[in-house]
Amino acid sequence: MMSPTTLIRRIAPALACIGLLAIWQVASLVLKNDSFPTAIEAIKAIPDILSDRESLINILASLRRMAMGFGAAVLFSIPLGLLMGRSRAVAAFFNPLLMVIYPVPKAALMPIIMLWLGVGDVTKTLVIFLGVSLPVIYHSFEGAKGVEEKMLWSGAAMGLSPLQRLVRIVLPAALPEILTGCRTGLVLALITMITSEMIARQSGAGNILFNALDMGQYDTVFAMIIVVGAMGICLDAIFERIRARLVRWSEPQFDMPLSFS
Amino acid sequence: MKVVPSRSSEWVRPVTPQKPASAIIEIDGVSQVFQTSAHKDHVALSDISLTIDEGAFVSILGPSGCGKSTLLYIVGGFVRPTSGVAKIKGAAIIAPGPDRGPVFQEFALFPWKTVLGNVMYGPRQQGVRAAEADAQSRSLIEMVGLKGYENFYPKELSGGMKQRVALARTLAYHPEVLLMDEPFGALDAHTRTRLQNDLLNIWERDRKTVLFVTHSVDEAVFLSDKVVMMSKSPGRIRHVIDIDLPRPRRRNELLLDPRYQKYVVDIERMFDESDGAGFPA
Ligand SMILES: Nc1ncnc2c1ncn2[C@@H]1O[C@H](COP(=O)(O)OP(=O)(O)OP(=O)(O)O)[C@@H](O)[C@H]1O
Ligand SMILES: [Mg+2]
Repeated sequence: MMSPTTLIRRIAPALACIGLLAIWQVASLVLKNDSFPTAIEAIKAIPDILSDRESLINILASLRRMAMGFGAAVLFSIPLGLLMGRSRAVAAFFNPLLMVIYPVPKAALMPIIMLWLGVGDVTKTLVIFLGVSLPVIYHSFEGAKGVEEKMLWSGAAMGLSPLQRLVRIVLPAALPEILTGCRTGLVLALITMITSEMIARQSGAGNILFNALDMGQYDTVFAMIIVVGAMGICLDAIFERIRARLVRWSEPQFDMPLSFS
Repeated sequence: MKVVPSRSSEWVRPVTPQKPASAIIEIDGVSQVFQTSAHKDHVALSDISLTIDEGAFVSILGPSGCGKSTLLYIVGGFVRPTSGVAKIKGAAIIAPGPDRGPVFQEFALFPWKTVLGNVMYGPRQQGVRAAEADAQSRSLIEMVGLKGYENFYPKELSGGMKQRVALARTLAYHPEVLLMDEPFGALDAHTRTRLQNDLLNIWERDRKTVLFVTHSVDEAVFLSDKVVMMSKSPGRIRHVIDIDLPRPRRRNELLLDPRYQKYVVDIERMFDESDGAGFPA
């Protein structure tokens, strides 16, 4: 039997979505603006997009770039962040570099990258890579820095080499923090993906959106926003499940009944 | 080495050089200076010399901040002394190694590993086959009284249970010397007593060398063959007291034993004398 609280928690996201769509619907009916279709019109346009071969190829291409940019960023950033967190010399070298890159909107670098690498996949993937890297490096760094020294000493006493300690103690100990960074990175990957396709209009989900905007197909524009949003929510939900499973050992036990229940 | 013999007890004697044949740890003129700010040094340990015999249970007793942990870390190879040398079996200690097993006051368990995973970690690292390490670790877990908790994560354990896991994890890779830093300091009195008894039982089985840091005079006398008393600022050895009480020791018998009581009273007095200040908590 599901308790009432569990039930409410389960259906809360659905309720929130329905509420949002309802507000949208009413607002659109009240405003009666051509460029603001109703929620129902926008939802009706979704099947058209998803059944169109061309659109599907575009969306899949976007997802592929996003996956590649995200994957490369994670593979690069975790080791770098961990090394920075454990070695003062590595941190001293990379910190100033990252401090300069950090506040620069990665999309602002696109014109230069486009100039060098063209408007194709490489440029867009690189921008996604840059967008994802910083939060992952930062969180890996903080996670590695926070690893209890006695834990590393215990490992050293067991005979682990410095590299083994990095991989087998620092990495798992910092994993909760690292995955927090990756989760932020995943959302940033989606954002930079769409942004990059806005700037280098050639293919992708962002391109469909802005083409529709150019042609005044506002229901398609809003339908694409829903599709991209849904993609973000799904990816985040999937990632959260994986994350929760990987770091179950560190989660506080919220579900324990406290004084009343 | 500077030892101040105290006339307050007939059991106190100046340290005489040990027979090198039976010495396992030799600490020779070790000093440790920490630079606390740009031009201020803090002498944590000053010219410490101490010899520990193989199979002996030696406690280091002293007020907070006198450098007990630092001395233990130097023997562990985690910290390099500013001057002097610590040796194990005649070889200078320059790095940690599986011959010296630390048990830290902070437990320092691997939180992503279960109790079993933590205890198996050392043997697996040493190349013991999985099945064998598993069996050995399970019997160790049973020995420290945690049977049934093999698959619990550290966060699911109480402080006393974590301390038991930490002890089992270190025992699992068979270090020749156990380095225990106030292992029972954070525990309540009852758990502390139980763990002291358990530790003695375990120790009496294979008589590993133990270097045991503590704040507590009772604990030091109850457990040790030898109590090394330190004083603060700079950290020095004040007295080395042999505890001549029969083994195996039973707590209930010992508490009634006038010899035990005299050791405790004398050492507490020495503590006050050499420290000047009040008795540490
Ligand atoms: N890494 C360090 N840097 C600077 N000073 C240190 C460092 N480690 C220890 N000290 C100083 O050295 C002295 C001895 O410290 P230590 O931890 O060895 O004392 P202790 O006898 O173990 O104390 P306690 O009983 O409270 O654990 C203290 O005054 C401490 O402030
Ligand atoms: Mg200490």
